[in-house]
Amino acid sequence: MPPFPSQAEVEETLKRIQSQNGVQGIIIVNTEGIPIKTTLDNASTVQYAGLIHQLVMKARSTVRDIDPQNDLTFLRVRSKKNEIMIAPDKDAFSNKTSFLLY
Amino acid sequence: MKKSSLVFNSSSRAMNTSVAGHQVSQSSRHKWNFAGSQTRRNSILVGGSNRKRNILDRNANQAPRKPVRVLDNDGNDVTPLPLYHAEPGDMPSKPGRFLDEIFSSSESDQLKSTSSFNMRSFGSFLGSSLPSSLSTTASMTKGTEDSVPKLDIPIIPPPPCGQRKRDNVKQHVTEEMLDDVVDVCLTETDTISLFDLPPLIFMSEDADDTKAIKERNLQYAELCKNRTGNDKYVERSMQTFSGAPKEKQIQTDKIVMVDEGSTIGSLLEMETCSLNAESNPELIMLTESFQHSLLVMERSIVANLFQPKLAAYRQLPIIKDPDSTVKPETEEKSEEGEESSSSPTLERLWAFSCELTRGWNITCMVWNKENPDLLAVAYGDCDSTNQKPSLICCWSLKNPTWPERVFHCHSCVTSLDFSANNPSQLAVGMYDGTIAIYTVQSRNNIHCIANSSECSKRHLKPVWQVNWSKQEITLSGEDRVEALVAVSADGRITKWLLCSNGLECIDLMKLKKTKNSKKKAVESKKKTEHMGSALTPGLCMDFHPTDSSVYLVGTWEGLIQKCSVANCHNVLETYQNHFCPVNSIEWSPFSPDVFLSCSSDWTIQLWKQECLTPVLSFTSAQRAVYAVRWSPNWSTIFAAINGLQVEIWDLNLSILHPTIVHQAAPGVTVTSVLFSRGTDCVLVGDSEGQVTVYQLKNLSVGQGKQVDSLEDIIGSAVSRYL
Repeated sequence: MPPFPSQAEVEETLKRIQSQNGVQGIIIVNTEGIPIKTTLDNASTVQYAGLIHQLVMKARSTVRDIDPQNDLTFLRVRSKKNEIMIAPDKDAFSNKTSFLLY
Repeated sequence: MKKSSLVFNSSSRAMNTSVAGHQVSQSSRHKWNFAGSQTRRNSILVGGSNRKRNILDRNANQAPRKPVRVLDNDGNDVTPLPLYHAEPGDMPSKPGRFLDEIFSSSESDQLKSTSSFNMRSFGSFLGSSLPSSLSTTASMTKGTEDSVPKLDIPIIPPPPCGQRKRDNVKQHVTEEMLDDVVDVCLTETDTISLFDLPPLIFMSEDADDTKAIKERNLQYAELCKNRTGNDKYVERSMQTFSGAPKEKQIQTDKIVMVDEGSTIGSLLEMETCSLNAESNPELIMLTESFQHSLLVMERSIVANLFQPKLAAYRQLPIIKDPDSTVKPETEEKSEEGEESSSSPTLERLWAFSCELTRGWNITCMVWNKENPDLLAVAYGDCDSTNQKPSLICCWSLKNPTWPERVFHCHSCVTSLDFSANNPSQLAVGMYDGTIAIYTVQSRNNIHCIANSSECSKRHLKPVWQVNWSKQEITLSGEDRVEALVAVSADGRITKWLLCSNGLECIDLMKLKKTKNSKKKAVESKKKTEHMGSALTPGLCMDFHPTDSSVYLVGTWEGLIQKCSVANCHNVLETYQNHFCPVNSIEWSPFSPDVFLSCSSDWTIQLWKQECLTPVLSFTSAQRAVYAVRWSPNWSTIFAAINGLQVEIWDLNLSILHPTIVHQAAPGVTVTSVLFSRGTDCVLVGDSEGQVTVYQLKNLSVGQGKQVDSLEDIIGSAVSRYL
């Protein structure tokens, strides 16, 4: 069992993502939809977290309804102005989900 | 004043046969609570009901009651008959109505007191008499002449003929009678059993001990019966002594109490504390699945940014971003650019570079044999004076902004090669002679599997090239064993094996210096320099693509030796043409007999295996050619770098001039070149730590058979000689 990567590596990766061209913000949420880390302001974070959580649930249930062996791995919502990328956790609805605004 | 005495008989079992009838001369207005010792408890129930009846009676003005009839299940009339039939002559002057009760009841008691009714004879159920006497009212119903030894149901319909009794006893209380002194004697009456519940333990008839239990029950009943008049049984009273209490003291250990306090920082913490430990934000971020999510996220973003480039690389149609706001100026520029570039050119797609690698000199680049998206690049300065640490980065095409793996080496890395059998193993040859094997599989595991630093026969001079080569099929017929072969500046070609201790080596060949009359003075000077050793440094090597026992080695002297794995003393062939160190050598992937070599003498030579002189020779710039690579996709194209420029030669078009010449940026030297399989891109590494990906554009490569075209060219060239 490999040892856990250091906290620093994770932070570094997050920083890299944040510094990519065009990335507006990152939100990390846990199972209940409570944001645990964010680079946006509070109000937006809460709004996004609440709305997107439901969307992810719906998408996941859709995927699983069509084929119970299948599972949602990534979700991208593209709009005129932005793109939201959502990476739900594998045992999702169970620990964390990170969203990204791009 | 008349005296009247009332004699009350208590009903007890012992007095069964006592007085039959009593005369009660006078009534009394005293209220008596007749208290049979056993009957008080149960009688209240009945008394209540009787009271109601009494009230009813009164209200109804003692209207005559209809006789009650009781029917059992079969419709038989089981109305209890009155036990006492009052005769008109009897008791003419009954003083108190309630006394009637008593007498009648006592009579009936005597008759009935020992009878026992069980539940089945419900029908022969009688109204209660005595309990009614407990009612506080003087008027009592006369209907209760029969006593009920057993009561199953508290409410009991009054037996008939109460009316008669009432008539007999009705009497007016006169003034004189009130002044009379009445003597009242109290005696104990018979025991009236008002309630007897038989044991409700239902025994199944099948049980083995049913009979025994029944017998025992009968025995006990007998015993109880016999007890009453028996001399053996004497009543006796007892008293228990209660001793004086005494005080006694004890002592316990003190219960230690500790105060403990904790604080809760913020609301978020409180919420997360209530969940299990996994929900701790710090821990969440360290879990593997989160890492994976991050990885995917990063790649997606990068894919967004690099999408056009990556599409071009993979030869997919480039879809224009419908939402992007492209300014019209840039569109014009791109149009112009397109028009002018109809000639073959290199188009820059992107560059692998990051903060970590900026400024490093690239020494080697190699693709992974299994995953064509993985690229390993070695960064380092080959400086013989001081050993500088160097870097190996594994890049993935999916993320050109950050390497997937980063390894640090203590010495400058000169050569890399991925293994074909174990695609995650990367062989590294270093400037100080160390050979190491790294694994790129996991991010967190130990990277360096094996190191040659403990081998006694290790190289002490720089290892210029390492190669994994599939050797002969093993005896077991399984996958061909792969051998790691290295060529080093100390003139030895060694084959390395991975043992439990580390790497062990076997000498395959020693490159001996050859005396050759054709050598120039420069060569002999070099020879004297290496007087100490009889071996000449080998700079490059390549295994034959089909016959893996044969390999070529390029030496410092400019000789190309064709050697065999089996023969470690003699070379098979010597190709001599270069008079400067041979920097790079490569077999053609399409034509098995053809190989290219390049040297510091500004030339690139094309050889055929059988011919000891080169078939074709290429020169373009007057600079040493550091590397030459065949294109894996087209047989007539190869790339060469000479420090300031990248040259792409297309032998179909011209054998005199390179088709594409790409100048490096000023101040930057191009140090490494690599073609990518399956796509028309070439990677160029430079001294600034950038690996730039170029796409070959407008190269009119024919669709015809690759081998044939090369053969044709060679054939025509050979024919020219002859």
